[in-house]
Amino acid sequence: MKGYIKASAAILIGLAILIPFASTYPDGLEKVAETFHIEEHSPLWQGLFPDYTLPIVENSYFTTLISGIIGFFLVLGMAWILGITITRKTPEKPE
Amino acid sequence: MHIPDGFLTPTTCVVMYLISLAFLVWSWKKVRLNYPKSFIPIIAVSSAFIFAAQMINFPIVLGTSGHLVGGTFLAILLGPYAAILSMTIVLSMQAIFFADGGMFTFGANIFNMAIIGGLSFYIVKILSENSMSRLKLFGSVFIASWLSVIFGAVACGIEIGFSPMFESVGGVSVTVPSMLFWHLLIGLGEGAITATLVSQLDRVQPAILSGLAILRRQKL
Repeated sequence: MKGYIKASAAILIGLAILIPFASTYPDGLEKVAETFHIEEHSPLWQGLFPDYTLPIVENSYFTTLISGIIGFFLVLGMAWILGITITRKTPEKPE
Repeated sequence: MHIPDGFLTPTTCVVMYLISLAFLVWSWKKVRLNYPKSFIPIIAVSSAFIFAAQMINFPIVLGTSGHLVGGTFLAILLGPYAAILSMTIVLSMQAIFFADGGMFTFGANIFNMAIIGGLSFYIVKILSENSMSRLKLFGSVFIASWLSVIFGAVACGIEIGFSPMFESVGGVSVTVPSMLFWHLLIGLGEGAITATLVSQLDRVQPAILSGLAILRRQKL
């Protein structure tokens, strides 16, 4: 278990280091839409953290970092629950 | 490659929801009770890692960027069907909390990234011929992850090609080639990152890889 906590810490540190270097150019699909002058409508559902920002944090680095950390733990938690539901309840059978 | 709401016709949305739902049910049945309890932290941390990795866009050329999708990476680590479920969780959190990918287009996004990504496991399997050679495995991982992005992009091009706004500029006959063009390049990034991740993981923690899906020859 210790290994997984270490791995999670390493991932979050990596995220904190790499966020400033992340490209802000449109991605492949956005570029295709742009090429054909197709506007993205403002979405019906904005989410709680629209475009990986936390509306109450103004600093552009920290707003992305904090929403990233929140997202990391949301996914971690949901995947943990998935893990519980798909793994064997009984003691491990010898493989 | 996350399709926002408004890019697909209602029919396309419904069809893609149904197709993806069928794959999810199938995957669920395939993985249920197949893994030991020790699998829980692996699926949790690797899913969360892919969420974080998808936030970091890398520039390619001509003012365009891409980011790791991670379907092949998850498939190597978790096996194809658990990878489909894991990626679906990543995509659902992105759609619900970050408005990255629409709600109506969610089915299409699951198909393009989770299902194609998870099934790219079999490309690795076929190419590496279950050989124990590491070089062959990493080469296969590179090609499979590159292809998974390309297949996803073609699927995405077809889906958006049917929507009236893309139809007015030429429909599928223009959306597929242009999606393909960009993702041939973005896919190289996917391949390079995935092959690096898998080889580093193998170096640092050989037990994880050899103990898991790809080298285990388990019926999954």
